[in-house]
Amino acid sequence: MAIRVQLDRILAERRMSLTELADRVGVTVANLSILKTGKARAVRFSTLDALCRELDCQPGDLLAHEPGPGDAFDDAEE
Amino acid sequence: MHLPKLASIGIRAPRLSAGNLRTPLRTLGPGSVSSLLKIALDVAYVLLALITGVLLLLWVASIFIPIDNLNVTVSDGADGRQMPLTRPLLLFGVGAITAYFGGFLMILRGLRKIFRTLTLGDPFQPDNVRRLRQIGLILAIVTGGVWVAQGLVAARLAPGVMEPQGVSDLLTPVFSILVVFVLAEVFREGARLRRESELTI
Repeated sequence: MAIRVQLDRILAERRMSLTELADRVGVTVANLSILKTGKARAVRFSTLDALCRELDCQPGDLLAHEPGPGDAFDDAEE
Repeated sequence: MHLPKLASIGIRAPRLSAGNLRTPLRTLGPGSVSSLLKIALDVAYVLLALITGVLLLLWVASIFIPIDNLNVTVSDGADGRQMPLTRPLLLFGVGAITAYFGGFLMILRGLRKIFRTLTLGDPFQPDNVRRLRQIGLILAIVTGGVWVAQGLVAARLAPGVMEPQGVSDLLTPVFSILVVFVLAEVFREGARLRRESELTI
């Protein structure tokens, strides 16, 4: 997946823990951990909205596109 | 031409909603139809395992038991024809029946595991895809084996008594096998969607 979630960087900048963010956003720590480690396949707009609201950032601050070899075939291979 | 509305002439059309389309019985989860079917499958599995075990013992015993003066009567009702029971014939007969029951035992084993997941209310698992494919494969082998064995018996053992097998006899089994393989693909897609849903935050 070429999309990277830069949650850990923003959390470090805000000096906020994953557990605290999970409490504020209303998402479990396990799910936020999936998001942070890049294992998530999709993010709901409602989750993105809550994350941006609590972290006081834009969606573009959270997500980054880093193309790598064979990224376009990720879905086809699975 | 202008037609009056149904309500204005006193007729009320039934509304179709998700509630109307629901079945009166629960089909998934504990205490549902699938749990009842699982109990039935468990009973059938135990019985079939016993029968297969007895047949397997019989097959092993048929290697050693003396069959010198035994005959087989091939008959279509009126007058029968007797032929000596040979060792290969006995082993083929008992072996074929044992393999038939053994095949269905393996199918029931897979079905029981699938129904266990239905009882838990979580059917779309990758393991169920593998199980359904195995069931389809075993069903194909058993059906093909029965077709070949019946053809052999009709040609060699009872020529003129048994009708030779035709390709049309395979139509229904082949259709059933294809349905099982299509179901396996449906489960594979279900498992994929479930995984996607799990990884959607």
